[in-house]
Amino acid sequence: MSIYFIRPGLQTSIQDFGRPGLMHCGIPQGGAADILSMQLVNLLLGNCLNNPVLELTLTGPVIKFECDISIAIAGAQFNVLLNKITVENYKVIQVKRGDILEFGQLLSGTRAYIGLSATIFTSQSFNSVSTHLISHFGGNKGKAISYEERLHLKNIRIAKSAHINRNLQPCYQSRPLLRVIYGPEKKRFTELALSNFFRKTFQVSAQNNRMGIRLSPSIIVDSKAITDSSDEMISSGLYPGSIQIPNNGEPIISFIEGQTIGGYPRIAHIIRADLHRLGQLKAQDKINFQLVHQAQAREILLKKMKYLENLKNNLAPENNESFIL
Amino acid sequence: MLDFSVYPNGDSALDIRFNSKPSENLSRHIIGLKEYLLNKNPNNFIELIPAYQCLTLIFNPALFDSEMLSQKVQQSIQDFLKAHKNISRKSRTIRIPVCYESIFAPDISILSKHTGLSRKEIIKLHTAPSYLVHMLGFTPGFLYLGGLNPRLECPRKKNPRVRIPAGAVGIGGSQTGVYPQATPGGWQIIGQTPIQLFHPYSSHPFLADPLDIIKFYSINQAEFDDIHQSRIWN
Repeated sequence: MSIYFIRPGLQTSIQDFGRPGLMHCGIPQGGAADILSMQLVNLLLGNCLNNPVLELTLTGPVIKFECDISIAIAGAQFNVLLNKITVENYKVIQVKRGDILEFGQLLSGTRAYIGLSATIFTSQSFNSVSTHLISHFGGNKGKAISYEERLHLKNIRIAKSAHINRNLQPCYQSRPLLRVIYGPEKKRFTELALSNFFRKTFQVSAQNNRMGIRLSPSIIVDSKAITDSSDEMISSGLYPGSIQIPNNGEPIISFIEGQTIGGYPRIAHIIRADLHRLGQLKAQDKINFQLVHQAQAREILLKKMKYLENLKNNLAPENNESFIL
Repeated sequence: MLDFSVYPNGDSALDIRFNSKPSENLSRHIIGLKEYLLNKNPNNFIELIPAYQCLTLIFNPALFDSEMLSQKVQQSIQDFLKAHKNISRKSRTIRIPVCYESIFAPDISILSKHTGLSRKEIIKLHTAPSYLVHMLGFTPGFLYLGGLNPRLECPRKKNPRVRIPAGAVGIGGSQTGVYPQATPGGWQIIGQTPIQLFHPYSSHPFLADPLDIIKFYSINQAEFDDIHQSRIWN
């Protein structure tokens, strides 16, 4: 019982919630880059929300199914074909043994998630099958899936048909506004550097991956200093969403496989409710930052959680897990 | 009593910052505090990340209000500092073999030029101290060490290397350490260890814990090859 990758796509990997609780050992949480889409495919299939999924990036795979199974796709919008017939995102798709799933043109977003009504049988480390692509451990021995690779499945079942209405599906704008709150080193930045940070439109550089997302341009103008203070920075904890400003003034956003300790001043931090949107950014995308306060950040998060709770009550009322954002 | 402040770090974390210089004593307090907070409220925090002068606590903001949690944490720290004057954890001493021969030490001549020390003196000064593991971080199993002889200090490379091999031993500013994985890196590479610092599939994945002692010792290339080859049987 397996699925066979005729083509693997640019970077297709196995992901789950990752490995929270190990950052003090230098191990980032990892897991799905867009944790919302990952949970939605599992919700649709009646799986537990942390059931391992396939994360694909920019170019999707061609997969031959070697068993009858149900799948669902969410996240980035590709032109997806099952046996040459278009299939939709956010919907349970019944697949027969011998069927071929193909990902064509990318229409929006960056990463799509394929949920399976089965468990992927693969290598595990630290209680997770999440593939840690940078340090090479976890699912598929820490590597992205390659040509003619086969993934073995267990606990296969057929899921009931289900879908998420179009107006309730997350959509990924090409110019997202990401909400942030000030970082611990806010006071180190000049007024000008701070105002540039909120005024400028940043472009996502080609150097963006699960470890970090580099942005340009610099927030320094006329080579003026970005910080008022010259005292030594204290290296301290970084986590997904931390925005550091290195000496060249170009912001770097820490992401899910990012380093756990860093020494550049942290100007701001993406709010938790918006973290999943980072997983859909790609090179050349334009972003802006909007300042919110702690209390607003929490309100936005609780509102999203409530929406997800309602969605869960409609789709899988028997599931009493909580969503994670 | 140690002087500290608690700051929000994003909407999902608090930084506890201490105003003392990095030291063994401070690291003992930070590690002790981490364990104290974890035992007291095991479910409050997703991550507790100790650093030289800071402990970062990551929580789920859907469950806690940052302001309220900050107040609770401040009270807990006061309690901890009052109750736990002597934080003791038995340190292990871990010896790490390093081959400083040219094939593994592409930057030793840069270090020699910068410090005015001969290769022999560099090896002597680098292998002399008992380094303290202040924390693990950056990448899986990377050890932040304290105790480098100031005579060996050397600035990082202007252009970091795109890839340095796993086991590379380097000096960056006033720090020294070993890269557990092949990663990009800006430190001056002066040697390489044949041993593995991170075993992702083992029940003991890390070579050392915070507050352990690291000693480097010099080996030649033949010894390097022997140890490296024996790894496949482990």
